[in-house]
Amino acid sequence: MGNKTTAHYNWRMISGQIALLLLILGAIEYIVSAEIVGSLYLSRPTLVIKEIIRLFAEGEIFHHLSVTLWEFLVGYVLSAAAGIGTGMFLVLIPRAETFFKPFLSALLAVPKVTIIPMLMLWLGIGLSNKIAIVFLFCFFTIAFNTITGIKQTADNHLKVARVFEATKLQTIIKVILPSAAPTIFVALRLSAATGLVGALFGEMIASKDGLGNLLVQATSLYDTTKAFAIITIVTIVSVLIIALIDLFEKKIVLKWKSS
Amino acid sequence: MAGFLINGVSKVYGGTTPTETLVDIDLTIEDGEFLSILGPSGCGKSTLLEILAGLQLPTSGEIWFEGKKLQGPGIERGVVFQDPSLYPWRTVMQNVELGLELRHKNKVERKLAAQKYLDMVGLQGFENKYPHHLSGGMKQRAGLARALANSPEVLLMDEPFGAVDHLTRLQLQDDLLRIWEAEKKTVVFVTHDVSEAVFLGDRVVLLSPRPGRINKIFRVPNKHPRKRDDIELLKIQNDIYAAIHEVKTQENLEFII
Repeated sequence: MGNKTTAHYNWRMISGQIALLLLILGAIEYIVSAEIVGSLYLSRPTLVIKEIIRLFAEGEIFHHLSVTLWEFLVGYVLSAAAGIGTGMFLVLIPRAETFFKPFLSALLAVPKVTIIPMLMLWLGIGLSNKIAIVFLFCFFTIAFNTITGIKQTADNHLKVARVFEATKLQTIIKVILPSAAPTIFVALRLSAATGLVGALFGEMIASKDGLGNLLVQATSLYDTTKAFAIITIVTIVSVLIIALIDLFEKKIVLKWKSS
Repeated sequence: MAGFLINGVSKVYGGTTPTETLVDIDLTIEDGEFLSILGPSGCGKSTLLEILAGLQLPTSGEIWFEGKKLQGPGIERGVVFQDPSLYPWRTVMQNVELGLELRHKNKVERKLAAQKYLDMVGLQGFENKYPHHLSGGMKQRAGLARALANSPEVLLMDEPFGAVDHLTRLQLQDDLLRIWEAEKKTVVFVTHDVSEAVFLGDRVVLLSPRPGRINKIFRVPNKHPRKRDDIELLKIQNDIYAAIHEVKTQENLEFII
């Protein structure tokens, strides 16, 4: 009974949401085609969809998409490994956190975008430059959340490990990391979004290819339809990446939480 | 011989105003004995248990276990905590296997031992559940199975049934006694419940309030299985209440003077 009611309620909710979305898109379609707003500023949704299809059909997008995804993936994986590693090092080595905390906090306070020109100087405008930007955008969140997560390990859970004479390494792998995992995953999800922003932003400032580069090209040619098409694609990519991380979290790492 | 010899043990917690928690505890715990340690909250009974477990070191005094001076935790001493402290990311079965897993026992051996003790504590059918699916009493059963699976000689239990409802608690007491008789372990059982201490224990050590010292030791001669309404048990309970009352009045006098 209860389920049926909820399903019914959900169905009405979803149809309402779709109706609102269509209404908004329809309104935009109208105000652009009636030239209430010029086609330089906005584009008709139907044209945007056609443009997306064209980009995929003609294959132009694939190269740029793969460049951006690769920059993101390498930077993200490196920052996750380094962030979790640094966090563990700081908490598990006595006094390391107290010693390094001021340095880390100072680095955290530097607005990351101001480093980008320096990175161009040091690394050029290719792949390594973008990887470094993604890394900068992700690393600190992951490191700090790892520290917080590890510190939240319940005293009693550690006592159980001591009673069973667990070695230091066993304690880290079987107690500390699993109990820090939910907090670390919060950071992984947050920084996936900011990491992608990092890759795109880096490309928009200086690059030879990538979705950010394609977007800047489109806007500099006043191709508003193409710009919106790329924005849509980028949004979908971002949503998919986060969905992928959620899936990984729920089905593999934190199975115990969802069941 | 899985007994303890506790020799002049005191514990002072440091800090700017040091707190005396245990003062001059002398106690022998016999092999195979079921010993209840009874006292009000804050009397240091949990501290004493943690010292026996090796989780804490005494400030002064010594503890001998099986003829050796105690230095730290050891797998021959299993601990059941007040908060069951199961790992939420492991299934019940995986929690019970933990001790054996840490000692690199193979999968088959782990499963067999875990299943044996899960059956013994009455958790068959819950092997693949996660702890948050269990009731408080069932969590304590899982905690007990986890300690037993490692085949310790001694079970150290820190108010294990303190957080469960009364009826569940009675059932858990009966089951614990059944397991104790079957497994022949030495049990040290910390509680603040007089009837529980008397019903379970061969002896009841009454600690006085802060700082904890041994007030009196009561022997409960009755053989198991005992009846809860046994007149002799009730008499020992009354003696214990009288002893507690005496301490209280003395304290009050001191306070007034």
